[in-house]
Amino acid sequence: MPAPSEQQVLAALATIVDPDLGRDVVSLGMIKELRVSDGGEVAFTFELTTPACPVRDRFKTQAEESVGALDGVSSVAVKMTANVRPGFMRQATEMLPGVKQTIAIASGKGGVGKSTVAVNLAAALHRSGARVGLLDADIYGPSVPGLTGVHEQPKVIDQKLIPLEAYGLKLMSIGFIGGGDKAMVWRGPMVSRAIQQMMGDVSWGELDYLVIDLPPGTGDASLTIAQSVPLTGVAIVATPQDLALDIAVKALQMFRQLNVTPLGLVENMSWYVCPECGHEHHVFGHGGAERAAHRLGVPFLGGIPLHEDIRVESDSGAPIVVSRPDSAAAKAFTDLASQIAARTSIQSFRRLPVINVR
Amino acid sequence: MLEIAWEDGARTRYPGRQMRWACPCAECRGEGGSTGRLDALTELADDELRMTEVALVGQYALQIGFASGHATGIYTFRYLRQLASA
Repeated sequence: MPAPSEQQVLAALATIVDPDLGRDVVSLGMIKELRVSDGGEVAFTFELTTPACPVRDRFKTQAEESVGALDGVSSVAVKMTANVRPGFMRQATEMLPGVKQTIAIASGKGGVGKSTVAVNLAAALHRSGARVGLLDADIYGPSVPGLTGVHEQPKVIDQKLIPLEAYGLKLMSIGFIGGGDKAMVWRGPMVSRAIQQMMGDVSWGELDYLVIDLPPGTGDASLTIAQSVPLTGVAIVATPQDLALDIAVKALQMFRQLNVTPLGLVENMSWYVCPECGHEHHVFGHGGAERAAHRLGVPFLGGIPLHEDIRVESDSGAPIVVSRPDSAAAKAFTDLASQIAARTSIQSFRRLPVINVR
Repeated sequence: MLEIAWEDGARTRYPGRQMRWACPCAECRGEGGSTGRLDALTELADDELRMTEVALVGQYALQIGFASGHATGIYTFRYLRQLASA
């Protein structure tokens, strides 16, 4: 039985369709280094668009089965790798030149746990194998120092701030610079300038994802960021009550005006877990977020439970995905990271307008 | 001449003259009750009408600079599409 041709192998693999991108994995350029030996041993690399790909295992199985079913195949060796593609096919940007994708985390109002979501999302993306940075854009109430347990001043080398590192993440926050307890009583233009400096004057280096923790609401910081770089997408965090009151809509509307793609809605404090018996209580009802997301025309990214452990770990400066990776909360954050990464992958296949000035 | 190729395949072109007179910035249009500079003029000097640079603002607008140094106009894509069909 003769070994199959490379064409035949690719045709078999072309039956695998990426559920989010809507195209087959061969046309997406995900199959690389294909080798077929005379004895029918097939080997190739399957390059995912993100290490946090939610269908990673399914892809591997589908690849092994579709190729294995061909006549003449004696073995199939699939190497799974990941390469995050630059958002919008990397238009040359002076701002954040080494950063491939930017994920903004917003909320309509404060107190919904947005920063906890941002820190754990960043940590989960890193744990999946990505290079991740976290920019704390909340000038008036920076949470990142407390949530990560980092309280040093960043060094300056060649007029650029060096981000601090914790849990494998590169971090920058006004809270590192201000001196901890001082209240930043700043006017709007100063906030905008500080945000621009934390983007442009920091040595972020090469990152797959920069997670940006925005201040609550729809103010200067969010506008400045949306004007300075083409954001790959924004995820809106809300609690079940917000969604009932449509408070999250304001944030969504602002980003729609700025053409920033809404990655979807995250429902934080979605259900309460009793620390004694582990029973789940849907204190605020069930399914509200999905209905709201449907009503608003955006994806529902998932729910994060309200569990005392999240707060306990956060208070001690550790993201729960790192300190208690087997907890239900950690799993919820990990699933969230996969959903968000899948959606930002879609953005990497879009282009910004092409401009010619003559 | 500013030429834009859009994601949906459309192509639009704008001469500097049209862009300058369409500047949406607060100085040109006015704000808070004060009259915009362009609303009070009927003619502009040549260096006002010549575009010298274009920069992308986020992913929703272009910032256009003219030879006169005027560069505060942020033209949203929606505005640019409207100008093309006007």
